[in-house]
Amino acid sequence: MPSPINKKVLQSISGLARLELQEKESEKILEDLRNILDHFNELQELDTSSIVSEVIPERDRKIFREDDERIGTNLGAGKELFPRTEDGFLAIPPVFKD
Amino acid sequence: MEDLKDLTIKSFGEGLREKKFSAMEATLAYFENIKKMDPSLGAYLHLMEESAATQAEKIDLALQNGEELGPLAGVPMAIKDNILIKGHPATAASKMLKDYVASYDASVINNLKRSGAVFLGKTNMDEFAMGSSTENSAFRLTRNPRDMERVPGGSSGGSAAAVAGDLALAALGSDTGGSIRQPAALCGVVGLKSTYGTVSRSGLIAMASSLDQIGPITKTVSDAAQVFMAIQGSDPLDNTNAGIAYDPKEILEPSLEKVKKLRVGVPKEFMVDGLEDKVRSGIEQAVEKIKSLGVEVKTISLPNAKYALSTYYIIMPAEVSSNLARFDGIRYGARDDENKKQSLLDIYLSERGRGFGAETKRRIILGTFVLSSGYYDAYYEKAQRVRALMRKDLDEAFKEVDVIIGPTTPTTAFKIGEKTSDPLSMYLSDIFTIPANMAEIPAISIPVEKFKEGELPVGFQLMGRRFREADILSLGQYYEKLN
Repeated sequence: MPSPINKKVLQSISGLARLELQEKESEKILEDLRNILDHFNELQELDTSSIVSEVIPERDRKIFREDDERIGTNLGAGKELFPRTEDGFLAIPPVFKD
Repeated sequence: MEDLKDLTIKSFGEGLREKKFSAMEATLAYFENIKKMDPSLGAYLHLMEESAATQAEKIDLALQNGEELGPLAGVPMAIKDNILIKGHPATAASKMLKDYVASYDASVINNLKRSGAVFLGKTNMDEFAMGSSTENSAFRLTRNPRDMERVPGGSSGGSAAAVAGDLALAALGSDTGGSIRQPAALCGVVGLKSTYGTVSRSGLIAMASSLDQIGPITKTVSDAAQVFMAIQGSDPLDNTNAGIAYDPKEILEPSLEKVKKLRVGVPKEFMVDGLEDKVRSGIEQAVEKIKSLGVEVKTISLPNAKYALSTYYIIMPAEVSSNLARFDGIRYGARDDENKKQSLLDIYLSERGRGFGAETKRRIILGTFVLSSGYYDAYYEKAQRVRALMRKDLDEAFKEVDVIIGPTTPTTAFKIGEKTSDPLSMYLSDIFTIPANMAEIPAISIPVEKFKEGELPVGFQLMGRRFREADILSLGQYYEKLN
């Protein structure tokens, strides 16, 4: 089975992952991913057509809380670590280039 | 102060209450050892001398005043660097978080504070808990105190090395696919991963949220039981918390009569070719000792266990790619804020490219790939179905037996640098520990025998039914009495 990953796919995936890769890094990752995906092929020998995708019943319960003000959450924690504020707002770089 | 080598949490508590030593003396003795050993061992990333002294002082004052002490009063502990302690660095061994200081306490830290524990410092780990040797730390190398040329395992390698090297009496680690149990086995100490949902994940820097659990690394099973009871419990800040009420007596003072009634199974698929001879003979030795307690041991089958590695290395990176999206160079990470020519997208690309190490990048790419359109069904959906199959296998096995025994790792501690260039061979270190995370069941690694100078430790693993920590902890506590 030909490897589903090549240089072009890797470029597209790294863009989606918002990850800039250097040329040398890309080569190594491509080689590693080919080996890893090759190993994953063993899963294809298993017939899972009748299996329902993993559902964890205990965790499927709905967790609601009373709709009232709570104290003791960590809301707002870490604001003091933000590098720059302006007029009480957290300042970030521009969304678009100048 | 008596020899730190001989201390356990139990003997520490007795010594403290009998005033053989004070909490301050104990804390200082551990820092002395850290100063002597850690430059070469590399277990810690950050020491907390000042706050530890304040905590120890409070314990001594409470003891003087005749106040009731918590179960871990004065116990000097090391905390993995992906667990938040307010006011102290939490880097997860990543350059991305090199300047991050935690602004709140993890729920386990709150629980330990209530129990009276003293925090000595934050321990080294693989970056964002991704690795099996602690060689993926962005900051330093950790060595195995049993053989300094070898790795301590990972990702909680700093925590395991600290306990094995007497640089802490106990430690916390986190376990996503074996990151507590594998380093515990390689360093000759005890490591417990409890049932998913028993220990709050609030304040743990997330790696793979359906698999992560915080747990203890200690010298004895009895100590692991003590720390587990201190950190478990319901928590409104973690909505996957199961809110189970454990019976402390069943866990801390187990009965031999009940242990003798346990049925133990050895999966034939775990005793495969490729197991190092020393590990194989170690497991056989452990099985014989368990039989000598009067416990029934039989062979069982987990037919899909061999698919654990592939399944895990699809599901885990998928969750990693999602969880690590928050490290974007804006909310976390150092950035050049004055460079107005950079757009947000430029910052995301360059900061993530600069801030993450090789293994982290590999897993983010792999996770993004298996979740992407066109590949999702063949990889992620398939893996979720196989996860369901593996869970079913374990459910079937637990109809026949109460506890499953097997190796924790396929080999003893390997040489530093031996597996760094071949990720697949590194991933194989987790082959026996992954099933417990996939099925959310409790599992513990216990040394086969007491450490002998010049020999590499071997650990065996006990797995139990969901929320039946009592079964593996009680069997483990009687096992260690035989050593």
